[in-house]
Amino acid sequence: MTDFGESHARDAAYAENPRTATVLAGEDVGVRIRSMNAGHPPLAQVVLVTGKGGVGKTTVAVGLAAAAAESDAGAVVVEFGDGEAGRRLLRRHRRAAINHVVIAPQDAVARCAVPLFGSALLAKAVLGNFAFKRFLRATPAIRELAMLECVRIVAAENPGVRVVVDMPATGHGIAWLRVAEQLRTFASSGPLHDLADRVCKDLLAPERSSIVVVTLPERLVLQETLELCDAMDKQVGLFPSRLVVNRFPAALPAQALDDARALAASGAVPAVMALLAALEARHASLTEADASLRDVLHGAHIPPVVLPAAPSDPTPADIAGWLKAEGAA
Amino acid sequence: MAGGGSDDGLKPHGRRPQVFVCAGGGGVGKTTTSAALALALAWQGKNTLVVTVDPARRLADAMDTPIGSSPKRVPLPPEVKGELYALMPDPREAMRTFVEHLFKDEPAAMQRLFENRIYAAMADAAAGVHELVSVMLVVQAVEELNLDCVVVDTAPSRYALDLVLYPGRLAALLEGRAIAWFGNLAQRTTEEDDEPGIMQGSAGGVLNWGRRRVENAMGRVLSARAITDVANLFIELARVRERFALLARQAEELLLGETTKFVLVAAPTGAADADLKYLARKLRKLQRGATAVIFNRADVAAPSWVAEVGTHADVTPALLAAIRQLEEERTARTHAADAMAKEIRRKLPLVRQLRLPTIAAEHPAAIVSALAEHLTELGN
Repeated sequence: MTDFGESHARDAAYAENPRTATVLAGEDVGVRIRSMNAGHPPLAQVVLVTGKGGVGKTTVAVGLAAAAAESDAGAVVVEFGDGEAGRRLLRRHRRAAINHVVIAPQDAVARCAVPLFGSALLAKAVLGNFAFKRFLRATPAIRELAMLECVRIVAAENPGVRVVVDMPATGHGIAWLRVAEQLRTFASSGPLHDLADRVCKDLLAPERSSIVVVTLPERLVLQETLELCDAMDKQVGLFPSRLVVNRFPAALPAQALDDARALAASGAVPAVMALLAALEARHASLTEADASLRDVLHGAHIPPVVLPAAPSDPTPADIAGWLKAEGAA
Repeated sequence: MAGGGSDDGLKPHGRRPQVFVCAGGGGVGKTTTSAALALALAWQGKNTLVVTVDPARRLADAMDTPIGSSPKRVPLPPEVKGELYALMPDPREAMRTFVEHLFKDEPAAMQRLFENRIYAAMADAAAGVHELVSVMLVVQAVEELNLDCVVVDTAPSRYALDLVLYPGRLAALLEGRAIAWFGNLAQRTTEEDDEPGIMQGSAGGVLNWGRRRVENAMGRVLSARAITDVANLFIELARVRERFALLARQAEELLLGETTKFVLVAAPTGAADADLKYLARKLRKLQRGATAVIFNRADVAAPSWVAEVGTHADVTPALLAAIRQLEEERTARTHAADAMAKEIRRKLPLVRQLRLPTIAAEHPAAIVSALAEHLTELGN
């Protein structure tokens, strides 16, 4: 039961539940409703999927690739690290070919160093140098630039193919987006400057890359996400193309809460109280999810793409279907 | 203040607190679990500090108390014997706090550092500065408060355990040889700009030749000015090397001490499963073992009220449908948790597993208390 029918069931539930319905009825509300109607801008060739740990970045990235693989010339998912998260999801998707490119951070540096130093031998000597090795380990910025350069190369090697990048969890906000610009300024000339310049112009430009930010329908998480979007806009000049709000709680039958309250009022049996607590908790998380979307995103320039919470891990095809239904794939 | 004198013990005047490091992928309820563990310890009469390096404000919510850059006492009922403190440093302040601590006695050098171009550009990108600052603040708290236990809630990522390596990494960078190398490099590059001939005709054989080639290559890739900036940064940092090394040593003792317990937190999702295995491998590499694996939202079976309410005389169709839906969700979680627990049992046969139920409560603080009841055994 993981097609987007759930979302419509949810809409019906809102209509039946006057309390939630008022929440959604005002004119500035409807962030969620607007998201159904408002067109999302088309995605560029490269899609950088970002967000904090545990929000479902990899799932959304693979879902976007699955959607693109069905319609476009094909899709590549780029993953950093050991590639286990993407592999696990792609095993469950045999419909259309998705290329999985796994880049270990240290390999990214090695790959970029060769053209930078002009020879493989010299690159190896520099990367093996004890002082430089330490410098590299202490400044992840260099590694991040190398990772972005690798993405640029993958995109250039696959013209017309959607390249979806599962970015590492951002502990340090938008530092990874700023690093190219910083290193371009810092190395005012020479090969490093040229490399950073290429990444800025050929990758981190609105016509080349779209940014998809994944978040959760919780007030504090949303607030942080929105601050991140704003910082991207002001400091890097890249405004996210999609704000994916993942795992929106599933509604329970609308009448159930009232029935449970009535039942509890007629006699405080422990089992009934436990049921009531479970229903109250779900109701609270739904109301909170709705309210936080409305409050936090009010006035924001980005309509959210809302994906439902599924009882078990959704497949890439599920996610692709949901994204398409929202016009966001 | 920590690191003020020459003492290198974590707590020279008293016993060392028992440290728990909680690690897990994102979204598994790690912060809530850490708070619950800390509360359980306080219930046992232990003075406990819980620190989160996760920039999210969830701990503040879970503990129902405002959190800042110094430990805040969490109000508990009077019958609770242990004191509970919470600490959540602000990541945006991290670099400044860190530099101010290191350069306390070197104001002029600190000023130069703030004006250095690379510092300005890369300050927020240095590895784990926020984590390091969090640990530094914990070290201070350990000196100032009479703590029995410290619970460290790491960042929501599979790389969270890198936290225990950052201090060493940054300290290694400031080790004399590396600083000298960058200093020399800067000098040579500047000289080379003025007198191209100076790089030739040197003695020292193949080794020197190799080093020269690396230096030349670096000089070509970076501009002379960039190298000078890097070198100057290192020269400033070298002034505070001692203080830095002390801090790194204290942090390492705190996080990797022999008595430190590592608690892995997971939830029944595929991503959490992958993260858990990764973290277990990482611990092995650090030659440490996990004390326990905690599975959140991993009910073993249907809660007892389900059957009871189902047979209640006045149950309505809407209620039955709601129960069915809740049970479908719960069953999916239980199956996933069963499979995960079995596999983890195979991979880590000696590690204790704790399966915690889903807590149906609106307020985070209520969830923390409910979970704490299940975690008391970890404190023994």
